[in-house]
Amino acid sequence: MTEFLVYLITIAAIWGILSLSLNLQFGIAGLVNLGHVAFFMLGAYTSTILVVIAGWPIVVGVVAGAIAAALFGMLLALPAANLKEDYWAISTLAAAEIVRIIFLNTRLGGPYVGEAFGVSGIPRPLRDWFDANGYSLADYNLFYMVLVLVVLAACFALVRYLAATPFGRSLKALREGDEVPLALGKSVGGLRIRVMAVGGALAGLAGALFAHYNAFISPEYFLPLETFIVWAMIILGGPGNFLGALVGTVIIQALYNSTRFIAPLLNIDAQVLGPLRMITISVAIILVIMYMPRGIVPERRRRYGR
Amino acid sequence: MLQVLIDSAIRSAELSFLAVGLTMVYSVLRFANFAHVEFATVGAYLALGLSTTVGLPLWLAAALAILIAGGLGVGIDRVIFSRLRTASPIMLMIASFALGIAMREAVRAIWGPSPFFYNLGILPPWRFLGAFVTPTQVAVIAAAVVAMLAFHFLLSRTTLGIAMRATADNATLSQASGIATDRVIRSVWFIGAGFAALGGVLVGLNTQIKPDMGFGLIIEVFSAAIVGGIGSPYGAILGAILVGFAENVGLAIDWSPVLNAIGFDVGPFTYIPTGYKAAVAFSLLILTLLIRPRGLLGART
Repeated sequence: MTEFLVYLITIAAIWGILSLSLNLQFGIAGLVNLGHVAFFMLGAYTSTILVVIAGWPIVVGVVAGAIAAALFGMLLALPAANLKEDYWAISTLAAAEIVRIIFLNTRLGGPYVGEAFGVSGIPRPLRDWFDANGYSLADYNLFYMVLVLVVLAACFALVRYLAATPFGRSLKALREGDEVPLALGKSVGGLRIRVMAVGGALAGLAGALFAHYNAFISPEYFLPLETFIVWAMIILGGPGNFLGALVGTVIIQALYNSTRFIAPLLNIDAQVLGPLRMITISVAIILVIMYMPRGIVPERRRRYGR
Repeated sequence: MLQVLIDSAIRSAELSFLAVGLTMVYSVLRFANFAHVEFATVGAYLALGLSTTVGLPLWLAAALAILIAGGLGVGIDRVIFSRLRTASPIMLMIASFALGIAMREAVRAIWGPSPFFYNLGILPPWRFLGAFVTPTQVAVIAAAVVAMLAFHFLLSRTTLGIAMRATADNATLSQASGIATDRVIRSVWFIGAGFAALGGVLVGLNTQIKPDMGFGLIIEVFSAAIVGGIGSPYGAILGAILVGFAENVGLAIDWSPVLNAIGFDVGPFTYIPTGYKAAVAFSLLILTLLIRPRGLLGART
């Protein structure tokens, strides 16, 4: 049970970073990014390629993963920078699918490396040291959980700080429409490109952490469904509120993972369980949008002097 | 080469059914309905269930499936989207995304993940000027031409069609002029979902029926609607034809002369791998967004 709890907390913390970054893009800046999983995937694959195939140190791989995802965010924002939200939604969704298709069709080296086979044997940071000093796998997993939690805390502090800077306030103005930031002489396209880069970097970091935790990645892990799960987290938690994003992450991850305990009790077939789980989450999200559009932890809207 | 053109025409026909419905819902309700492609999946499976389990002939099963899917569209609007008329388009998009997942996973829960085929028996393909054409493919193209002509007649000659165009243009003004916009919205959902279901049956006839069949088309369908100008039904048909042809022709072209000319030494034959089919539609979409965001036939916003 402890092992499962450690796993759950680690996964929830990784997805927490993802939902913080999407909350920065959607909750604060109002950008409808339906391709969030692409950043996650780029972070995971960049770090994996650099570490497993090129043999670079893990730290370099993780940082490069974040940078690659940030660059992709900027690239993605360029053609769409001045467009309406509908176009954002479809072009980000499509771009994420293209990224997945590229990795699905590219052999990264040797037999069974890349393409649909994925990449296995991704090293885990400091694992050798833990083994050499007689620690067990459970100890190591506990260490990795703490590591991910520290990164999550740093990301939380960063996005909170960013949202309070003039840049963050410009983003909030952008969320309400282009007119106000334009009237203040802000470049709306530039703001969008920058927030896609920052959010992308965080999601890329989460992806790299996931790759080095799971030790195996394949295109199957990065379906559009994952993007929806991150959206479910922030819609449920309360768009625009970073604490809400984390609350949403914990609830959705707990819901997602608890079904494995409920299924044997209700005698549900494994083939039906997966679909039922997704139906539950989607219906819950529709209900939240209908009856609780500001989420569990609503964003506090400050009113400035009148 | 003729084979490529025939394949393109079939793809265009399938895409146009989906793109027209998508763009109609957009024109009246002003949100991008990400659940739209799932009506194709639901329609294809309903036709399958009615023909195999109930034992109806396939044409009757398909007709019933289209009607049921249309009714489902109206019902979904009643239960979900009619309560969200004042919500922001972003929230409507997310709600439709969630709805799409629920529909797809419901299909997967009922019928399982393995693909099915309609029981057509073996239909020998016809040879036509060196290309192979199956009778079902001819039926697909014929169905598309007939349906699109009927749709044009509906839009231009009937009261309902005129009311639809008026509502799309300005809902408040149409309501003030005595048009029952609620009824128009219901008709739009019925026709849109029905068209999508027909598209799904046609895709199922040509390939296979599986839970992801609708979602797998989402990039192409949205690209078609946006390239043609979202909100414009004729634009959606034009966009579907462009995307259908670009995909098949783009994959059939030997790109090596172009690549060699711009400095890449790639040798005599270079084709785009079939895995990248969706990338062709995406490139068209990005080009449109860069050059002409309102699409070919879209109204200036």
